[in-house]
Amino acid sequence: MSDTPYQHLRDLPAHHILGTGTPMCAGCGGLATLHQVYDILGEKCVIINAAGCMTLLSVYPCTPFHGSWLYTAMASAPAGAQGVRDGLDILKKKGRLSREEDLEVVVLTGDGSANGMGLSATSGAMDRNLDFLYLCYDNEGYGNTGQQYSAATPHAARTATSKGSLGYPGYKKDLFAIWAAHNPGYVATVVAAEPLDLARKIERARGLSGPRLILALAPCPTGWDFEPSASVEIGKLAVATGIWPLKEYVDGRVTHTKIPHPRLEVRDYLKAQGRFAHLFAPRENRKMIAEIQARVDRYWQKVD
Amino acid sequence: MYRIRFHGRGGQGMKTAGRILGTAFFLAGFEVQDAPRYGAERRGAPIFAYVRASRNPIFERGIISRPDLIIVADDHLPAMPGSGVLAGAGEQTVFLIYSNEEASLWQERLNLQGSVFTLPPLAENELRFRGAACAGGAAALLAELDVELLAEAVREEIDPLGSELVADNLEVALAAYAALAVNRGTVHEGGPVSAIDYASPDWLKLPCEETLLSAPAIHAPATSEMSQTGLWRSERPLIDESRCKRCWWICSTFCPDGAIQVDEERRPHIDYGHCKGCMVCLNQCPTHAITAVPEEEAAAQGEKP
Repeated sequence: MSDTPYQHLRDLPAHHILGTGTPMCAGCGGLATLHQVYDILGEKCVIINAAGCMTLLSVYPCTPFHGSWLYTAMASAPAGAQGVRDGLDILKKKGRLSREEDLEVVVLTGDGSANGMGLSATSGAMDRNLDFLYLCYDNEGYGNTGQQYSAATPHAARTATSKGSLGYPGYKKDLFAIWAAHNPGYVATVVAAEPLDLARKIERARGLSGPRLILALAPCPTGWDFEPSASVEIGKLAVATGIWPLKEYVDGRVTHTKIPHPRLEVRDYLKAQGRFAHLFAPRENRKMIAEIQARVDRYWQKVD
Repeated sequence: MYRIRFHGRGGQGMKTAGRILGTAFFLAGFEVQDAPRYGAERRGAPIFAYVRASRNPIFERGIISRPDLIIVADDHLPAMPGSGVLAGAGEQTVFLIYSNEEASLWQERLNLQGSVFTLPPLAENELRFRGAACAGGAAALLAELDVELLAEAVREEIDPLGSELVADNLEVALAAYAALAVNRGTVHEGGPVSAIDYASPDWLKLPCEETLLSAPAIHAPATSEMSQTGLWRSERPLIDESRCKRCWWICSTFCPDGAIQVDEERRPHIDYGHCKGCMVCLNQCPTHAITAVPEEEAAAQGEKP
């Protein structure tokens, strides 16, 4: 990372360009990610937005963006990106768009679309080696409709559709690995609570071509049940406990960009959120907490 | 039929309030509908919940446009156009608001024709039971709902959310009931709503236009700034200039909304027109230069939003 312009925290952008006044919740981890990403990407991009919380960003006549924004159905944002990229390429070929005027095509979706119904279109776009950046704000559930579980919901989490003492019975899908298996241009995990790591990765992704994924953990006060003011702490805890590994994939290699050492116990992360409250009351579910810890430990054993 | 509308912000428990009141009616032998209005679920945004209760089968559906009782959990809401607090309020409509100000002041301010009541103030640690207070206050105004029915409804609705929450919710609901019990029976059932008087509007015929013309396009950048999301806030973060170390990036980068900009002297400025009051900045400032002040207090001190 010696070539990055973001060496120190003070190198981060001081001026923020994403418009305020959006209808995202107070303390939204997804919006925090987007505004940091947008500062680095700049205004010269087209946002292709699949249905989700962030569809509400641009409701006529309001938009927080400085450039174009296109709304697609939940499953088809990468297909929309293909159309926009092709359109731009045709304009370039005809000499109606200069190289300087060219735009970055950015897909913006939640985890529901990215892990579920949009995955087929995403895989297809990677087959075609589409030159685009995919930003997924992963709040681990269908937040816009009341936090039903998605394929990205972590084991044991309470959602509107996984209540009861055990929470969600499934396991979070490994979208990073699914993308990496396609051998795309770039894959990275980020979290807005680690803005320097995020800035470096966006800067790096910007300089590459082909399909590129930025997978952002997006702490969600509404869906995860914590105070909005704790949004950044939750993100930091996700990294410090090893639940959210910060890593990137380039040229067939996965590198961890921040290895927590020593790792905090996962219970610190779980206990801070109402969606895991059933693991601690009325009685502590030691077995399940130990199981979650063991899965995290197994992951890091492979890394070390 | 009783038509009752709850107004609050996401997170204030209006859905629960509607359910408690609906269950109390049900226990009293009524046929009941209770439902929150579906919208984007988010904290701070105006939320609606509806309760209909009748001795006869209910054939009405959807939103309540002519309420007999309006309950408002947050006294900032009437000023927000999107909250629709006053929609359909008439001479028979009773208005109940959670506010530290006098009922008569609200009557005058909002030009209300029906009776106006305020809910008793809650202690700081009880604010999260505001939904129960609203349900309790509403029940007190309805002749058919006695205190036992209210208590049973609170137990039934709160227990699945956590049995340890029942006692506190119950206490708050019963206190609100007691405070308003002298006004019992103030709310009257509204008459049937008929479609017979429906007059179709003067429809305009719009010819089809070319897609380029008819598809909505926004040509100005960052127009979202027209929305004053600062109205969502109940507390205001204030920066103590003497403690701010001018690090310039922490509060400004972490603010999810990008509502903190830094000037050339590395001084952070909070855009109160758009700060939603999440207080991430307060939690992240390493020198603790940011404090939270209740919005009313900040306004009273003449701090312009």
